[in-house]
Amino acid sequence: MKKITKQSLVTFSLLSPGLLAIGCLFFYPLFIIIKNSLAFEEEHIFYHYIKFLSSSNGLYVIGLTCLLAFGATFLSICLSILLILILRRKPIGHNFFKTLVLAPITIPGLICALGLLLFWDKNGWMNLIIQGIINRPIQVNYTIPGLLIFYTWLFFPYTFLITFSQVESLDKSIEEAAEVVGANRMQVLRYILLPLAKPGLLAGSIITFMLCFGAFSVPLICGGDYRPLSVSIYTTSAIYNRWDEGSAMAVIMALIQIFFLISYIRIMKRAR
Amino acid sequence: MHYAKKVLIITFLLCITIFIISPFLMIIVTSFARGWFGTQWMPQEWTFDWYQWAFQVANIGAILKNSIIIAVLAIAMSLFIGMATAWAIARRPVPGKEILFSIILLPRMIPPITYALGISNIFYKLNLIDTYLGVSLAHVTLCLPFGILILSSTFEGLDQRIIEAAQVCGASRWRTFFHVILPLVMPGILAAIIFTFTTSYNEFTLTIMTYGPHTVTLPVKTYLAIGDGYWEVASAISTILLIPSLIVLIIIQRLLKPEKIVGGFKGV
Repeated sequence: MKKITKQSLVTFSLLSPGLLAIGCLFFYPLFIIIKNSLAFEEEHIFYHYIKFLSSSNGLYVIGLTCLLAFGATFLSICLSILLILILRRKPIGHNFFKTLVLAPITIPGLICALGLLLFWDKNGWMNLIIQGIINRPIQVNYTIPGLLIFYTWLFFPYTFLITFSQVESLDKSIEEAAEVVGANRMQVLRYILLPLAKPGLLAGSIITFMLCFGAFSVPLICGGDYRPLSVSIYTTSAIYNRWDEGSAMAVIMALIQIFFLISYIRIMKRAR
Repeated sequence: MHYAKKVLIITFLLCITIFIISPFLMIIVTSFARGWFGTQWMPQEWTFDWYQWAFQVANIGAILKNSIIIAVLAIAMSLFIGMATAWAIARRPVPGKEILFSIILLPRMIPPITYALGISNIFYKLNLIDTYLGVSLAHVTLCLPFGILILSSTFEGLDQRIIEAAQVCGASRWRTFFHVILPLVMPGILAAIIFTFTTSYNEFTLTIMTYGPHTVTLPVKTYLAIGDGYWEVASAISTILLIPSLIVLIIIQRLLKPEKIVGGFKGV
Protein backbone atom coordinates (compact mmCIF):
# COMPACT_ATOMS: atom_id res chain seq x y z
CA MET A 1 0.00 0.00 0.00
CA LYS A 2 2.78 2.35 1.02
CA LYS A 3 4.67 1.60 -2.17
CA ILE A 4 1.65 2.45 -4.32
CA THR A 5 1.28 5.88 -2.70
CA LYS A 6 4.97 6.57 -3.16
CA GLN A 7 4.75 5.56 -6.83
CA SER A 8 1.71 7.73 -7.47
CA LEU A 9 3.41 10.64 -5.70
CA VAL A 10 6.36 10.33 -8.08
CA THR A 11 3.97 10.19 -11.06
CA PHE A 12 2.13 13.23 -9.81
CA SER A 13 5.30 15.24 -9.24
CA LEU A 14 6.47 14.32 -12.75
CA LEU A 15 3.14 15.40 -14.23
CA SER A 16 2.80 18.59 -12.24
CA PRO A 17 5.20 20.98 -14.08
CA GLY A 18 3.40 20.46 -17.39
CA LEU A 19 -0.05 20.70 -15.87
CA LEU A 20 0.91 23.77 -13.86
CA ALA A 21 2.26 25.49 -16.98
CA ILE A 22 -0.88 24.69 -18.99
CA GLY A 23 -3.00 25.86 -16.07
CA CYS A 24 -1.17 29.19 -15.69
CA LEU A 25 -0.71 29.93 -19.38
CA PHE A 26 -3.97 28.60 -20.79
CA PHE A 27 -6.74 28.00 -18.24
CA TYR A 28 -6.07 31.06 -16.12
CA PRO A 29 -6.08 33.41 -19.17
CA LEU A 30 -9.32 31.73 -20.30
CA PHE A 31 -10.79 32.35 -16.86
CA ILE A 32 -9.72 36.01 -17.04
CA ILE A 33 -11.38 36.38 -20.45
CA ILE A 34 -14.63 34.87 -19.17
CA LYS A 35 -14.49 37.19 -16.15
CA ASN A 36 -13.81 40.23 -18.36
CA SER A 37 -16.63 39.34 -20.70
CA LEU A 38 -19.26 39.42 -17.97
CA ALA A 39 -20.85 42.80 -17.35
CA PHE A 40 -21.33 43.17 -13.61
CA GLU A 41 -22.35 46.84 -13.80
CA GLU A 42 -24.93 46.51 -16.57
CA GLU A 43 -28.50 45.37 -16.05
CA HIS A 44 -27.74 41.99 -17.54
CA ILE A 45 -24.62 39.98 -16.77
CA PHE A 46 -24.39 38.70 -20.35
CA TYR A 47 -24.82 42.21 -21.75
CA HIS A 48 -21.79 42.05 -24.09
CA TYR A 49 -22.76 38.64 -25.45
CA ILE A 50 -26.32 39.75 -26.15
CA LYS A 51 -25.10 42.99 -27.72
CA PHE A 52 -22.73 41.14 -30.07
CA LEU A 53 -25.09 38.32 -30.98
CA SER A 54 -28.12 40.58 -31.54
CA SER A 55 -26.24 43.03 -33.77
CA SER A 56 -26.31 42.38 -37.49
CA ASN A 57 -22.54 42.74 -37.59
CA GLY A 58 -22.09 39.98 -35.00
CA LEU A 59 -24.06 37.41 -36.96
CA TYR A 60 -22.34 38.52 -40.17
CA VAL A 61 -18.90 38.01 -38.63
CA ILE A 62 -19.78 34.55 -37.32
CA GLY A 63 -21.33 33.59 -40.67
CA LEU A 64 -18.29 34.83 -42.56
CA THR A 65 -15.91 32.86 -40.31
CA CYS A 66 -17.93 29.66 -40.74
CA LEU A 67 -18.27 30.18 -44.49
CA LEU A 68 -14.52 30.64 -44.91
CA ALA A 69 -13.69 27.67 -42.67
CA PHE A 70 -16.18 25.25 -44.25
CA GLY A 71 -15.47 26.45 -47.80
CA ALA A 72 -11.71 26.13 -47.47
CA THR A 73 -12.01 22.72 -45.77
CA PHE A 74 -14.22 21.47 -48.61
CA LEU A 75 -11.80 22.77 -51.24
CA SER A 76 -8.88 21.19 -49.35
CA ILE A 77 -10.61 17.81 -49.28
CA CYS A 78 -11.31 17.94 -53.03
CA LEU A 79 -7.76 19.01 -53.86
CA SER A 80 -6.27 16.38 -51.55
CA ILE A 81 -8.33 13.53 -53.03
CA LEU A 82 -7.36 14.59 -56.54
CA LEU A 83 -3.68 14.80 -55.65
CA ILE A 84 -3.71 11.50 -53.78
CA LEU A 85 -5.30 9.69 -56.73
CA ILE A 86 -2.48 10.95 -58.94
CA LEU A 87 0.42 10.57 -56.52
CA ARG A 88 -0.64 7.09 -55.43
CA ARG A 89 0.68 5.73 -58.71
CA LYS A 90 4.08 7.30 -57.89
CA PRO A 91 4.63 9.47 -61.00
CA ILE A 92 7.96 11.24 -61.63
CA GLY A 93 8.86 13.63 -58.83
CA HIS A 94 6.32 12.47 -56.29
CA ASN A 95 8.91 12.71 -53.49
CA PHE A 96 9.71 16.27 -54.46
CA PHE A 97 6.01 16.98 -54.34
CA LYS A 98 5.68 15.63 -50.82
CA THR A 99 8.43 18.04 -49.70
CA LEU A 100 6.80 20.87 -51.61
CA VAL A 101 3.50 20.64 -49.75
CA LEU A 102 5.41 20.99 -46.47
CA ALA A 103 6.30 24.55 -47.49
CA PRO A 104 3.00 26.21 -46.43
CA ILE A 105 3.27 24.37 -43.09
CA THR A 106 6.84 25.30 -42.15
CA ILE A 107 6.94 28.82 -43.61
CA PRO A 108 5.41 31.55 -41.41
CA GLY A 109 1.80 32.35 -42.32
CA LEU A 110 2.63 36.02 -42.64
CA ILE A 111 5.20 35.45 -45.38
CA CYS A 112 2.77 33.16 -47.18
CA ALA A 113 0.15 35.91 -46.95
CA LEU A 114 2.51 38.49 -48.42
CA GLY A 115 3.51 36.13 -51.23
CA LEU A 116 -0.11 35.30 -52.01
CA LEU A 117 -1.03 39.01 -52.09
CA LEU A 118 1.82 39.71 -54.50
CA PHE A 119 1.07 36.67 -56.66
CA TRP A 120 -2.70 37.32 -56.98
CA ASP A 121 -2.34 41.10 -57.19
CA LYS A 122 -3.73 42.96 -60.22
CA ASN A 123 -0.15 43.18 -61.52
CA GLY A 124 0.87 39.80 -60.17
CA TRP A 125 1.90 36.78 -62.21
CA MET A 126 -1.46 35.05 -61.83
CA ASN A 127 -3.30 38.00 -63.29
CA LEU A 128 -0.76 38.20 -66.14
CA ILE A 129 -1.71 34.62 -67.00
CA ILE A 130 -5.43 35.39 -66.66
CA GLN A 131 -5.08 38.51 -68.82
CA GLY A 132 -3.56 36.35 -71.52
CA ILE A 133 -6.78 34.31 -71.51
CA ILE A 134 -9.64 36.74 -70.85
CA ASN A 135 -7.93 40.06 -71.63
CA ARG A 136 -8.70 41.77 -68.34
CA PRO A 137 -7.40 41.38 -64.81
CA ILE A 138 -9.63 40.01 -62.07
CA GLN A 139 -9.74 41.22 -58.49
CA VAL A 140 -8.78 38.38 -56.14
CA ASN A 141 -7.12 40.12 -53.20
CA TYR A 142 -9.45 41.40 -50.49
CA THR A 143 -12.44 39.35 -51.75
CA ILE A 144 -14.15 36.27 -50.28
CA PRO A 145 -13.10 33.92 -53.13
CA GLY A 146 -9.57 35.27 -52.69
CA LEU A 147 -9.64 34.46 -48.98
CA LEU A 148 -10.96 30.98 -49.78
CA ILE A 149 -8.07 30.41 -52.20
CA PHE A 150 -5.54 31.69 -49.67
CA TYR A 151 -6.94 29.55 -46.85
CA THR A 152 -6.94 26.46 -49.07
CA TRP A 153 -3.38 27.14 -50.20
CA LEU A 154 -2.22 27.52 -46.62
CA PHE A 155 -4.06 24.69 -44.92
CA PHE A 156 -4.71 21.90 -47.47
CA PRO A 157 -1.31 20.23 -46.80
CA TYR A 158 -2.61 19.01 -43.42
CA THR A 159 -5.52 17.14 -45.03
CA PHE A 160 -3.33 15.94 -47.87
CA LEU A 161 -0.40 14.63 -45.81
CA ILE A 162 -2.50 12.81 -43.21
CA THR A 163 -4.80 11.20 -45.79
CA PHE A 164 -1.87 10.31 -48.02
CA SER A 165 -0.05 8.48 -45.24
CA GLN A 166 -3.26 6.54 -44.57
CA VAL A 167 -3.76 5.64 -48.25
CA GLU A 168 -0.10 4.63 -48.60
CA SER A 169 -0.47 2.13 -45.77
CA LEU A 170 -3.50 0.48 -47.41
CA ASP A 171 -3.13 -3.02 -48.69
CA LYS A 172 -2.84 -2.87 -52.47
CA SER A 173 -4.37 -6.33 -52.83
CA ILE A 174 -7.80 -5.07 -51.73
CA GLU A 175 -7.96 -2.82 -54.76
CA GLU A 176 -6.67 -5.56 -57.02
CA ALA A 177 -9.28 -7.93 -55.65
CA ALA A 178 -12.01 -5.42 -56.50
CA GLU A 179 -10.63 -5.06 -60.01
CA VAL A 180 -10.46 -8.81 -60.44
CA VAL A 181 -14.13 -9.21 -59.58
CA GLY A 182 -14.94 -6.64 -62.26
CA ALA A 183 -15.22 -3.28 -60.52
CA ASN A 184 -14.42 -0.37 -62.78
CA ARG A 185 -12.23 2.55 -61.73
CA MET A 186 -15.06 4.72 -60.37
CA GLN A 187 -16.45 1.81 -58.38
CA VAL A 188 -13.04 1.11 -56.86
CA LEU A 189 -12.77 4.75 -55.88
CA ARG A 190 -16.34 5.02 -54.58
CA TYR A 191 -16.65 1.71 -52.71
CA ILE A 192 -13.07 0.77 -51.81
CA LEU A 193 -10.65 3.68 -51.68
CA LEU A 194 -12.77 6.47 -50.23
CA PRO A 195 -14.29 4.41 -47.40
CA LEU A 196 -10.84 3.10 -46.47
CA ALA A 197 -9.30 6.57 -46.60
CA LYS A 198 -12.19 8.11 -44.66
CA PRO A 199 -10.58 8.09 -41.16
CA GLY A 200 -7.48 9.84 -42.53
CA LEU A 201 -9.59 12.27 -44.49
CA LEU A 202 -11.65 13.14 -41.41
CA ALA A 203 -8.61 13.48 -39.14
CA GLY A 204 -6.80 15.63 -41.69
CA SER A 205 -9.75 17.81 -42.52
CA ILE A 206 -10.50 18.55 -38.87
CA ILE A 207 -7.01 20.03 -38.51
CA THR A 208 -7.52 22.07 -41.68
CA PHE A 209 -10.91 23.21 -40.39
CA MET A 210 -9.61 24.24 -36.98
CA LEU A 211 -6.75 26.19 -38.51
CA CYS A 212 -9.09 27.90 -41.00
CA PHE A 213 -11.51 28.80 -38.22
CA GLY A 214 -8.79 30.33 -36.05
CA ALA A 215 -6.66 31.82 -38.87
CA PHE A 216 -5.43 35.23 -37.84
CA SER A 217 -2.44 36.56 -39.75
CA VAL A 218 -3.83 35.86 -43.21
CA PRO A 219 -7.24 37.57 -42.84
CA LEU A 220 -5.54 40.39 -40.92
CA ILE A 221 -3.43 41.23 -43.97
CA CYS A 222 -5.45 39.86 -46.88
CA GLY A 223 -8.98 40.30 -45.55
CA GLY A 224 -9.50 43.96 -46.36
CA ASP A 225 -13.05 44.76 -45.24
CA TYR A 226 -13.82 41.10 -44.55
CA ARG A 227 -12.94 40.54 -40.93
CA PRO A 228 -13.60 37.06 -39.54
CA LEU A 229 -13.93 36.51 -35.78
CA SER A 230 -10.21 36.35 -34.99
CA VAL A 231 -9.49 39.71 -36.65
CA SER A 232 -12.64 41.29 -35.16
CA ILE A 233 -11.55 40.20 -31.68
CA TYR A 234 -8.13 41.73 -32.22
CA THR A 235 -9.40 45.05 -33.62
CA THR A 236 -12.16 45.40 -31.00
CA SER A 237 -9.88 44.83 -28.04
CA ALA A 238 -6.37 45.88 -29.02
CA ILE A 239 -7.20 48.73 -31.40
CA TYR A 240 -10.58 50.12 -30.22
CA ASN A 241 -9.68 49.24 -26.64
CA ARG A 242 -13.05 47.63 -25.85
CA TRP A 243 -11.62 44.66 -23.96
CA ASP A 244 -14.90 43.50 -22.43
CA GLU A 245 -16.59 43.22 -25.83
CA GLY A 246 -13.50 41.58 -27.32
CA SER A 247 -13.45 39.05 -24.47
CA ALA A 248 -17.12 38.19 -25.03
CA MET A 249 -16.34 37.60 -28.73
CA ALA A 250 -13.35 35.44 -27.77
CA VAL A 251 -15.52 33.27 -25.51
CA ILE A 252 -18.11 32.90 -28.28
CA MET A 253 -15.35 31.91 -30.73
CA ALA A 254 -13.91 29.33 -28.33
CA LEU A 255 -17.38 27.88 -27.71
CA ILE A 256 -18.14 27.57 -31.44
CA GLN A 257 -14.78 25.90 -32.00
CA ILE A 258 -15.39 23.43 -29.16
CA PHE A 259 -18.87 22.69 -30.53
CA PHE A 260 -17.47 21.91 -33.99
CA LEU A 261 -14.66 19.88 -32.47
CA ILE A 262 -17.05 17.70 -30.45
CA SER A 263 -19.38 17.15 -33.41
CA TYR A 264 -16.41 16.26 -35.60
CA ILE A 265 -15.11 13.75 -33.07
CA ARG A 266 -18.59 12.18 -32.90
CA ILE A 267 -18.72 11.86 -36.69
CA MET A 268 -15.26 10.34 -36.63
CA LYS A 269 -16.23 7.76 -34.03
CA ARG A 270 -19.28 6.81 -36.07
CA ALA A 271 -17.14 6.54 -39.22
CA ARG A 272 -14.93 3.99 -37.49
CA MET B 1 -4.83 7.50 -74.79
CA HIS B 2 -2.27 6.37 -72.19
CA TYR B 3 0.23 8.99 -73.37
CA ALA B 4 -2.35 11.79 -73.31
CA LYS B 5 -3.28 10.89 -69.77
CA LYS B 6 0.32 11.00 -68.67
CA VAL B 7 0.75 14.47 -70.18
CA LEU B 8 -2.46 15.60 -68.44
CA ILE B 9 -1.24 14.34 -65.06
CA ILE B 10 2.17 15.97 -65.43
CA THR B 11 0.55 19.27 -66.48
CA PHE B 12 -1.73 19.15 -63.47
CA LEU B 13 1.13 18.46 -61.06
CA LEU B 14 3.16 21.22 -62.69
CA CYS B 15 0.27 23.66 -62.22
CA ILE B 16 -0.02 22.76 -58.54
CA THR B 17 3.76 23.12 -58.15
CA ILE B 18 3.64 26.59 -59.70
CA PHE B 19 0.61 27.39 -57.55
CA ILE B 20 2.57 26.55 -54.40
CA ILE B 21 6.01 27.92 -55.30
CA SER B 22 5.11 31.16 -57.12
CA PRO B 23 4.16 33.26 -54.07
CA PHE B 24 7.63 32.61 -52.60
CA LEU B 25 9.38 33.33 -55.90
CA MET B 26 7.41 36.54 -56.18
CA ILE B 27 8.55 37.64 -52.70
CA ILE B 28 12.18 36.99 -53.63
CA VAL B 29 11.87 38.82 -56.98
CA THR B 30 10.07 41.78 -55.33
CA SER B 31 12.80 42.07 -52.71
CA PHE B 32 15.37 42.67 -55.48
CA ALA B 33 13.15 44.76 -57.78
CA ARG B 34 13.17 48.49 -58.37
CA GLY B 35 10.17 50.22 -59.94
CA TRP B 36 8.27 47.08 -60.79
CA PHE B 37 4.93 48.49 -61.90
CA GLY B 38 2.28 47.55 -64.42
CA THR B 39 2.01 44.41 -66.43
CA GLN B 40 5.54 43.08 -66.53
CA TRP B 41 6.71 39.57 -65.81
CA MET B 42 10.05 40.72 -64.44
CA PRO B 43 11.33 44.05 -63.11
CA GLN B 44 13.43 46.28 -65.35
CA GLU B 45 16.01 47.08 -62.70
CA TRP B 46 17.52 45.00 -59.93
CA THR B 47 18.71 46.39 -56.61
CA PHE B 48 19.96 45.47 -53.14
CA ASP B 49 18.50 48.70 -51.69
CA TRP B 50 15.66 47.03 -49.88
CA TYR B 51 18.04 44.75 -47.99
CA GLN B 52 20.10 47.79 -47.05
CA TRP B 53 16.88 49.40 -45.84
CA ALA B 54 15.95 46.31 -43.92
CA PHE B 55 19.28 46.29 -42.08
CA GLN B 56 19.75 50.04 -41.60
CA VAL B 57 16.25 51.48 -41.25
CA ALA B 58 14.25 48.48 -40.06
CA ASN B 59 17.16 47.25 -37.92
CA ILE B 60 16.74 43.60 -38.85
CA GLY B 61 19.91 42.52 -37.06
CA ALA B 62 18.52 43.41 -33.64
CA ILE B 63 15.13 41.93 -34.53
CA LEU B 64 16.72 38.65 -35.63
CA LYS B 65 18.55 38.59 -32.31
CA ASN B 66 15.22 39.10 -30.48
CA SER B 67 13.56 36.30 -32.43
CA ILE B 68 16.35 33.86 -31.69
CA ILE B 69 16.64 34.73 -27.96
CA ILE B 70 12.87 34.32 -27.57
CA ALA B 71 12.85 31.03 -29.50
CA VAL B 72 15.74 29.60 -27.46
CA LEU B 73 14.06 30.60 -24.18
CA ALA B 74 10.75 29.10 -25.34
CA ILE B 75 12.45 25.83 -26.40
CA ALA B 76 14.39 25.58 -23.13
CA MET B 77 11.30 26.16 -20.99
CA SER B 78 9.05 23.89 -23.05
CA LEU B 79 11.49 20.98 -23.04
CA PHE B 80 12.41 21.43 -19.39
CA ILE B 81 8.75 21.40 -18.35
CA GLY B 82 7.64 18.94 -21.00
CA MET B 83 10.28 16.27 -20.43
CA ALA B 84 9.02 15.19 -16.98
CA THR B 85 5.37 15.35 -17.95
CA ALA B 86 5.95 13.41 -21.17
CA TRP B 87 7.89 10.74 -19.27
CA ALA B 88 5.06 10.33 -16.77
CA ILE B 89 2.43 10.11 -19.52
CA ALA B 90 4.43 7.64 -21.59
CA ARG B 91 5.89 5.29 -19.01
CA ARG B 92 3.88 5.50 -15.81
CA PRO B 93 0.39 4.34 -15.00
CA VAL B 94 -1.67 7.53 -15.11
CA PRO B 95 -5.42 7.33 -14.55
CA GLY B 96 -7.46 9.06 -17.27
CA LYS B 97 -4.53 9.33 -19.66
CA GLU B 98 -6.68 10.26 -22.65
CA ILE B 99 -8.42 13.09 -20.82
CA LEU B 100 -5.09 14.35 -19.53
CA PHE B 101 -3.67 14.31 -23.03
CA SER B 102 -6.59 16.22 -24.49
CA ILE B 103 -6.27 18.83 -21.71
CA ILE B 104 -2.61 19.27 -22.59
CA LEU B 105 -3.40 19.57 -26.30
CA LEU B 106 -6.27 22.02 -25.74
CA PRO B 107 -4.17 25.18 -26.34
CA ARG B 108 -3.53 23.92 -29.86
CA MET B 109 -7.19 23.17 -30.51
CA ILE B 110 -8.65 26.51 -29.50
CA PRO B 111 -7.74 29.57 -31.60
CA PRO B 112 -4.78 31.31 -29.91
CA ILE B 113 -6.36 34.75 -30.30
CA THR B 114 -9.02 33.79 -27.74
CA TYR B 115 -6.62 33.20 -24.85
CA ALA B 116 -4.05 35.70 -26.14
CA LEU B 117 -6.34 38.44 -24.78
CA GLY B 118 -6.20 36.88 -21.31
CA ILE B 119 -2.44 36.35 -21.48
CA SER B 120 -1.80 39.98 -22.39
CA ASN B 121 -4.13 41.06 -19.58
CA ILE B 122 -2.22 39.02 -16.99
CA PHE B 123 1.20 39.98 -18.37
CA TYR B 124 0.31 43.68 -18.15
CA LYS B 125 -0.32 43.27 -14.45
CA LEU B 126 2.91 41.28 -13.97
CA ASN B 127 4.95 43.76 -16.07
CA LEU B 128 5.93 40.97 -18.44
CA ILE B 129 4.89 42.81 -21.61
CA ASP B 130 7.87 43.76 -23.76
CA THR B 131 10.30 41.44 -21.97
CA TYR B 132 12.02 38.40 -23.46
CA LEU B 133 10.68 36.26 -20.65
CA GLY B 134 7.10 37.44 -21.23
CA VAL B 135 7.03 36.86 -24.97
CA SER B 136 8.75 33.48 -24.67
CA LEU B 137 6.38 32.42 -21.88
CA ALA B 138 3.47 33.25 -24.19
CA HIS B 139 5.13 31.08 -26.83
CA VAL B 140 5.44 28.21 -24.35
CA THR B 141 1.62 27.94 -24.37
CA LEU B 142 1.85 26.72 -27.97
CA CYS B 143 5.27 25.02 -27.84
CA LEU B 144 4.63 22.91 -24.73
CA PRO B 145 1.76 20.76 -26.11
CA PHE B 146 3.83 20.07 -29.21
CA GLY B 147 6.86 19.18 -27.11
CA ILE B 148 4.90 16.85 -24.82
CA LEU B 149 3.24 15.17 -27.81
CA ILE B 150 6.54 14.40 -29.57
CA LEU B 151 8.50 13.52 -26.43
CA SER B 152 5.85 11.19 -25.02
CA SER B 153 5.63 9.27 -28.30
CA THR B 154 9.42 8.99 -28.23
CA PHE B 155 9.48 7.74 -24.64
CA GLU B 156 6.70 5.29 -25.38
CA GLY B 157 8.90 3.78 -28.09
CA LEU B 158 11.68 3.01 -25.63
CA ASP B 159 11.94 -0.71 -25.03
CA GLN B 160 11.88 -1.60 -21.33
CA ARG B 161 13.94 -4.72 -22.10
CA ILE B 162 16.94 -2.62 -23.19
CA ILE B 163 16.89 -0.67 -19.94
CA GLU B 164 16.60 -3.92 -18.00
CA ALA B 165 19.44 -5.44 -20.01
CA ALA B 166 21.68 -2.48 -19.10
CA GLN B 167 20.80 -2.92 -15.43
CA VAL B 168 21.43 -6.66 -15.58
CA CYS B 169 24.89 -5.93 -17.01
CA GLY B 170 25.60 -3.88 -13.91
CA ALA B 171 25.06 -0.32 -15.12
CA SER B 172 24.08 2.17 -12.46
CA ARG B 173 20.94 4.30 -12.83
CA TRP B 174 22.89 7.33 -14.03
CA ARG B 175 24.95 5.23 -16.44
CA THR B 176 21.78 3.68 -17.85
CA PHE B 177 20.30 7.12 -18.30
CA PHE B 178 23.30 8.77 -19.98
CA HIS B 179 24.58 5.85 -22.03
CA VAL B 180 21.41 3.95 -22.93
CA ILE B 181 18.27 6.03 -22.62
CA LEU B 182 19.62 9.40 -23.76
CA PRO B 183 21.16 8.20 -27.05
CA LEU B 184 17.93 6.35 -27.85
CA VAL B 185 15.64 9.31 -27.26
CA MET B 186 17.96 11.90 -28.82
CA PRO B 187 16.26 11.85 -32.24
CA GLY B 188 12.92 12.53 -30.55
CA ILE B 189 14.37 15.37 -28.50
CA LEU B 190 15.89 16.85 -31.66
CA ALA B 191 12.52 16.60 -33.39
CA ALA B 192 10.88 18.33 -30.45
CA ILE B 193 13.50 21.10 -30.57
CA ILE B 194 12.95 21.61 -34.30
CA PHE B 195 9.17 21.73 -34.03
CA THR B 196 9.14 24.03 -31.01
CA PHE B 197 11.68 26.26 -32.75
CA THR B 198 9.49 26.64 -35.85
CA THR B 199 6.43 27.24 -33.68
CA SER B 200 8.13 30.01 -31.73
CA TYR B 201 10.00 31.50 -34.71
CA ASN B 202 6.80 31.74 -36.76
CA GLU B 203 4.45 32.68 -33.93
CA PHE B 204 2.51 35.86 -34.58
CA THR B 205 -0.84 35.89 -32.74
CA LEU B 206 0.51 35.63 -29.20
CA THR B 207 3.52 37.82 -30.02
CA ILE B 208 1.43 40.71 -31.26
CA MET B 209 -0.48 40.73 -27.96
CA THR B 210 2.65 40.69 -25.79
CA TYR B 211 5.40 42.47 -27.75
CA GLY B 212 6.76 45.97 -27.27
CA PRO B 213 9.43 48.17 -28.85
CA HIS B 214 12.25 46.06 -27.38
CA THR B 215 10.88 42.65 -28.31
CA VAL B 216 9.80 43.04 -31.93
CA THR B 217 10.22 39.66 -33.63
CA LEU B 218 10.63 39.03 -37.35
CA PRO B 219 6.96 38.13 -38.07
CA VAL B 220 5.77 41.25 -36.21
CA LYS B 221 8.25 43.41 -38.14
CA THR B 222 7.04 41.92 -41.43
CA TYR B 223 3.47 42.72 -40.42
CA LEU B 224 4.38 46.30 -39.50
CA ALA B 225 6.24 46.76 -42.80
CA ILE B 226 3.26 45.43 -44.79
CA GLY B 227 0.90 47.64 -42.81
CA ASP B 228 3.04 50.70 -43.57
CA GLY B 229 2.89 49.87 -47.27
CA TYR B 230 6.60 49.08 -47.69
CA TRP B 231 6.01 45.86 -49.60
CA GLU B 232 9.52 45.75 -51.01
CA VAL B 233 11.11 46.05 -47.58
CA ALA B 234 8.59 43.52 -46.23
CA SER B 235 9.67 41.18 -49.03
CA ALA B 236 13.32 41.65 -48.13
CA ILE B 237 12.57 40.87 -44.46
CA SER B 238 10.50 37.86 -45.54
CA THR B 239 13.33 36.54 -47.69
CA ILE B 240 15.63 36.71 -44.68
CA LEU B 241 12.93 34.97 -42.58
CA LEU B 242 12.56 32.28 -45.22
CA ILE B 243 16.10 30.96 -44.84
CA PRO B 244 15.70 29.24 -41.42
CA SER B 245 12.29 27.90 -42.48
CA LEU B 246 13.82 26.30 -45.58
CA ILE B 247 16.62 24.77 -43.50
CA VAL B 248 14.01 23.27 -41.17
CA LEU B 249 12.07 21.99 -44.18
CA ILE B 250 15.15 20.18 -45.49
CA ILE B 251 15.97 18.77 -42.03
CA ILE B 252 12.43 17.41 -41.62
CA GLN B 253 12.55 15.79 -45.04
CA ARG B 254 16.09 14.39 -44.83
CA LEU B 255 16.83 13.53 -41.25
CA LEU B 256 13.62 13.04 -39.37
CA LYS B 257 12.13 9.88 -40.69
CA PRO B 258 9.00 9.12 -38.69
CA GLU B 259 10.40 5.77 -37.58
CA LYS B 260 13.38 7.60 -36.05
CA ILE B 261 11.13 9.83 -34.02
CA VAL B 262 9.61 6.87 -32.21
CA GLY B 263 12.89 5.69 -30.76
CA GLY B 264 13.78 3.19 -33.44
CA PHE B 265 13.61 0.14 -31.18
CA LYS B 266 9.92 -0.49 -30.95
CA GLY B 267 9.96 -3.67 -32.97
CA VAL B 268 12.90 -5.45 -31.29
